[in-house]
Amino acid sequence: MVDIGLFTQIVINGLLLGGIYVTIGVGFSLAFGVLEVVDFAVGEYVMVGAFMGAVLAPLFGAEGVFVIPIVLVVFFAVGALIQPLIHHVTTGDRPHPLLMGLVFTFGLATFLRGSVLTIFGPNSQDVPSSLLTGGIEVPGLGTFPVVRTVTAVFGVTGLAVFMYYLYRTRGGMAIRAIAEDRTNARLMGININRYQSIAYGAYAALTGSAGVFIGMTFNASPGMGLQYTAFAFFMVVLAGMGYLPGVIVAGIVLGLTQSFTAVYISGNAVLLVLFAIIYVVLLVSPAGILGKGEWAT
Amino acid sequence: MSGSAPVLDRLPGDRRYWFLALGVLLLAWPFLFGSFWARIGLGALMWIGLAQSWNMIGGYAGYLDFGHGAYFGIGGFAAGIAMVQFGYPFVVGFALAIVVAAVLAYLVAVPTLRLTGAYFAIATWALAESIKQAALILEITGGTFGLSLPRSPDTFIGIAVPFAISETFFYYVMLLLCAATMLVTYVLFERHEFGYRVKALRDDQDAAESLGIDTTRVKRQVYVLSCVVAAVFGSVYAWYIVFIHPNDILAPIVTDRMVIMALLGGLGTLTGPIFGGLLVFLLQRLSSVFLGSSTFYLPLIGTLIMITVLFAPSGIIGILRGEIGRDDVRKNLKELGEKFDLL
Repeated sequence: MVDIGLFTQIVINGLLLGGIYVTIGVGFSLAFGVLEVVDFAVGEYVMVGAFMGAVLAPLFGAEGVFVIPIVLVVFFAVGALIQPLIHHVTTGDRPHPLLMGLVFTFGLATFLRGSVLTIFGPNSQDVPSSLLTGGIEVPGLGTFPVVRTVTAVFGVTGLAVFMYYLYRTRGGMAIRAIAEDRTNARLMGININRYQSIAYGAYAALTGSAGVFIGMTFNASPGMGLQYTAFAFFMVVLAGMGYLPGVIVAGIVLGLTQSFTAVYISGNAVLLVLFAIIYVVLLVSPAGILGKGEWAT
Repeated sequence: MSGSAPVLDRLPGDRRYWFLALGVLLLAWPFLFGSFWARIGLGALMWIGLAQSWNMIGGYAGYLDFGHGAYFGIGGFAAGIAMVQFGYPFVVGFALAIVVAAVLAYLVAVPTLRLTGAYFAIATWALAESIKQAALILEITGGTFGLSLPRSPDTFIGIAVPFAISETFFYYVMLLLCAATMLVTYVLFERHEFGYRVKALRDDQDAAESLGIDTTRVKRQVYVLSCVVAAVFGSVYAWYIVFIHPNDILAPIVTDRMVIMALLGGLGTLTGPIFGGLLVFLLQRLSSVFLGSSTFYLPLIGTLIMITVLFAPSGIIGILRGEIGRDDVRKNLKELGEKFDLL
């Protein structure tokens, strides 16, 4: 017997959760398209974002929502400053450029995780929010928890703005051209350094602010990064590297999967299932389930 | 290129005397400095060996294995399960660790080595994480409780051996294993034809293939070899440390450290992992002893990795050999500065 009320509630939770994962996944996929580097630091951006929420919220009357604009600005600036470093290690005459890029983000992830761990200790912290509490009852469907709803709305809005920039502006066109072919884009007179910085900065800003929302929904802990790195990988692997529309579907699938396994199987099994799926999909179809990603080279 | 002679060649006297002195020092180490330093020494030796095992696949073959730590854990759990669940002595667990790691590595190698670059890295990383999650759920590995291994003089070969549980004993075991790993690496990768094949496939797989090298076969051989070496160290470590838990010996930090050590020392070099392993291991120990913080080495290492990748991609060995001079760093900085162009 499946309880219909519980079932719809799980679907609601899963969809709302998926909204924020999509934000992370789309930025991550774009960063890969533009820089051709798989960013191992993605989960740590989420983690640092959540910690910024926990640390800065008391300054704003214990309200995590007000931290978001600061996180957006800080992460954009930091991302724009980190991008040239990644670009530098993957180009030029050094041996194994891809390896160097991968290891660099790996070092960045270690640095971020280690710094937060050293400064704040291993315990998790709450990201307070008095505005986003309680839930909205919708008769016949279930409860929409306010935190998760606002999170999803933020995710969808952020995504819409991002997509508008990418597909409806000249800057967005430049970024898509770089993702298509960096050398050609440069020959067309695109300032690749600038637009790569913008793309990476936007990705970092989206991911960091997603972290604040995730911190408000759950909490902030130094070890949480790994999980979100896994989630980001899961989404782009499922969707195919660099294929944005697929990420949206994959993010929603991820939210639903997490919410269903947590209720019907067990919380412990979620990561096992996710990692196993990543591994199998990579082996069977490295260009994603739909086969529309960039092929493994 | 700075043009100066490599540091290693500037040592005075015949190099053989230096090696001899080093050998004597390593053999006499526990008697010279006591059990505390024996413990430090055996840890350093283990990590040098592990870094070298990663260097085989990651450095010589150029395949970024981000799940290598899994084999360290598998070796540990194979020995642990043999000793705890079945009551065998350590030697049986040791043999089991080798067999299990070799079989598993081969089964993993066949599909996974078709992937390259980032895809290979993510796939191995995902596999290692799922192995860890599985170990946390399974009963035979002790689940979330971990395994407590027996440690008495008769756990070595079944009959009582009086010396078999002392710090000194484990020091010599690690010394032997580390030396063996170094010797295997030297012979196979630096002297034997096998090493040339491996380096050829790393530098250009198609070219290697066209020269008649069976790259698939060579890749699998390197992968299995490197995984077995990691498992061997894992089994001895489990016996030495007595208590093993998936969150410790299957943690991603194990892989992280191997990668970092090999990279800092110099990828694809024989002596690189020695320098890198020593540096990272000592940083970690010293940060917990002198700074009272067991995590401070993480941001330190993270920064070191980023600086190494940016300015000295050939690692400490590259600096010692004089491949990276002041001019290179300056040129590097200048090129890097040109890439900051946001406003």
